[in-house]
Amino acid sequence: MSISKTDTTGAQTVAPATIASVRGLKVHFRSKAGRVHAVDGVDFDVRDGETLGLVGETGCGKSVTGRAFLRLLPVPPGILAGGSVMFRPQTSCAGCGGEGCAQCGGSGRRPTPCPTCRGQGCPDCQGTGAETLDLLKVSDKKMRGIRGDRIAMIFQDPGKSLNPTLTIGEQLGEVFLQHRSADLLEEAGIDSGESGFQARALRRLAGQRDRRTDRMAAALWPPLRRRAQSVRQALDNRIAAALGETQIPNPRNIMRSYPHELSGGMRQRVMIAQALACDPDLIIADEPTTALDVTVQARILDLIGQLQAKRGSSVIYISHDLSVVRRICDRVAVMYAGRVVEIGETDQIFNDPRHPYTKGLLAAVPTTRTPRGKLAAIPGSVPELVDPKPSCRFADRCAHVHAACTASDPILSAVNPGHDVACFLEHPTSPKTEAAE
Amino acid sequence: MVNTNIDGAPTRRRQDSALRVRLRRGGELLRLILSNPTTVFGLILIFGMLGMALFAPWLTQPNTPDPYQMPRDWGALRMPPGTPGHPLGTTNTGGDVLYGVIWGSRTSLQLSIIVVGVTVVIGTAIGSIAGMVGGKVDEILMRIVDVFLSIPELIFALAIAAILGPSFTNIILSLCLVFWVKYARIMRAQIILVKQNDYVDAARVIGDSRLNIYFRDILPNAATPLVVQATLDMGAIVLIGATLSFIGLSESGIAEWGVLVSEGQAGIASGRWWASTFPGLMIFLWALAFNLLGDGLRDALDPRTESRR
Repeated sequence: MSISKTDTTGAQTVAPATIASVRGLKVHFRSKAGRVHAVDGVDFDVRDGETLGLVGETGCGKSVTGRAFLRLLPVPPGILAGGSVMFRPQTSCAGCGGEGCAQCGGSGRRPTPCPTCRGQGCPDCQGTGAETLDLLKVSDKKMRGIRGDRIAMIFQDPGKSLNPTLTIGEQLGEVFLQHRSADLLEEAGIDSGESGFQARALRRLAGQRDRRTDRMAAALWPPLRRRAQSVRQALDNRIAAALGETQIPNPRNIMRSYPHELSGGMRQRVMIAQALACDPDLIIADEPTTALDVTVQARILDLIGQLQAKRGSSVIYISHDLSVVRRICDRVAVMYAGRVVEIGETDQIFNDPRHPYTKGLLAAVPTTRTPRGKLAAIPGSVPELVDPKPSCRFADRCAHVHAACTASDPILSAVNPGHDVACFLEHPTSPKTEAAE
Repeated sequence: MVNTNIDGAPTRRRQDSALRVRLRRGGELLRLILSNPTTVFGLILIFGMLGMALFAPWLTQPNTPDPYQMPRDWGALRMPPGTPGHPLGTTNTGGDVLYGVIWGSRTSLQLSIIVVGVTVVIGTAIGSIAGMVGGKVDEILMRIVDVFLSIPELIFALAIAAILGPSFTNIILSLCLVFWVKYARIMRAQIILVKQNDYVDAARVIGDSRLNIYFRDILPNAATPLVVQATLDMGAIVLIGATLSFIGLSESGIAEWGVLVSEGQAGIASGRWWASTFPGLMIFLWALAFNLLGDGLRDALDPRTESRR
């Protein structure tokens, strides 16, 4: 269970902390026709431990938004035109050591203290005492430290996201070599204070910077070989454990096979194992089940849910599959043409949609009661995102369009607690007649 | 032994090490190559000629002081094949054709290995930089490549060799200067293609460095067409080298097939066919052998040609 959703045990209730917030994110793409405003001012928060669904049709900017968290944008031709993606990396709670206590609100994790004031509160962290990073601005080196460790990503097509020339173990091991090399050395019984040629070689072998000479020395020189083997074993144990957590049978055999020897579901499990290997705070799942068939899909979703609950990670679930989103998400943000048009609790979005686009989207989902040959669709098509004018993006497809819609941009405003909509119909002065349905 | 994995698909039980998996994979590739009779024919030819180059000092008495210089038998000019001591006859100047054919395989091997080795390294480096860095760097490098490509290879190499002066070393040098361009092009295109794969993003997502991504994820997946092209060029370069030698850009008297063809061509009209024919045949066989192997490699390595197998 994620703690943000139902934590009503009484006075101890801690307001769900925000671990990431996107503010005014703008990603544009240069094209022959002009600037394509693929993401044009997206705002939302990700709360600690929640699953946030990001839904919308193809090309609405949901994937680009997800990728912005890892700064995985194609720049150029993409242009980061503005905004920020603030992120608070978490550490294990000192009070309970990850068990969950009142101090950390039961999650077992707390924000990393701000490095300038050590948690006292200073202008750098706006008095919160927590380290807050703007993921769009941090150095490349810092970003590399965050990728795979604090923020992970699961891709759409597991068949394409594994390198065909490396074994599963070699690819998975990279995460540990990248972020956990100190732990590997410790597990292998190598003292962190040790110096000398052997220690240097072992450190390189347990990290990313191993050299051919190290491997040769480890192969040829028996004392080094034994110790290198124990590092290798520590790594293999971790890889097998990570695979085992995703319920892959025979992890020791799987890690020696190549991606083409596995089924799609197995490959996605490997990707999930890789994403969760370092207990990330935030997992970006970009349509992780689209390439899988429906029976496997359910298992993979359950798996992500279970592992997420176990670790208290937050998940941004990017999808256009509304039924899946309804099932697994705590909150949902609906995107249209590069904007978030509606955001709220899953129940609010599905039972009380306010934005005409959300209504249309929900009506378009075929059910078993939909008569044959009759599929509801929203009339018109997605607008060109080249140099848009200031107007509601949905105006020319909307049944309730009025003068204000084409004159200016609606912004997100609350209709209910926790439920924000960007639509003039929800504005106090808008013509109410059409809005009432 | 078959057991079923969690998604219901059977997986083979494997107890072997990653190394053995890799070797088995290599074995599969080898079997694929060997299943094609024309490729096997090419391989046999190549091994034959490599053997000839390797055992040259035992097959013929090496000329002193420089074995790459043709021995001159001034007592046996223009002798036809079958002459005692000169099984393939002699040239106008008393050079033993058999000696030229055998030691010529050494010069050809030198030529092709040096040129292909150097150009593959240069081409891979430049193509990789262009493909990985992109932007202005890519633009500048590729315009340089365009300049090189706008001049026909042979003419360009000829011009450079002519400027440097006639010698076999200069032929090698000029070919090195000309041939890297093709590899740079192929490598850049491959890198740009491979870079778009999700697994490259996946590697970035786990925090890999760019250099590590290049060596682990990009280069191994981009190298295949380059390997095929390099194999084909092992033959093509000997052909071009021989052409340059033929028109007199290497030292005369060197045991090189192009030079021998050139020396012998004057006699063809008078019926002395042997001095040009045997070295010419060797050039042909060399080029043919590497072309067959190159085609075989392409079929084996490129999944798109699978249906044709």
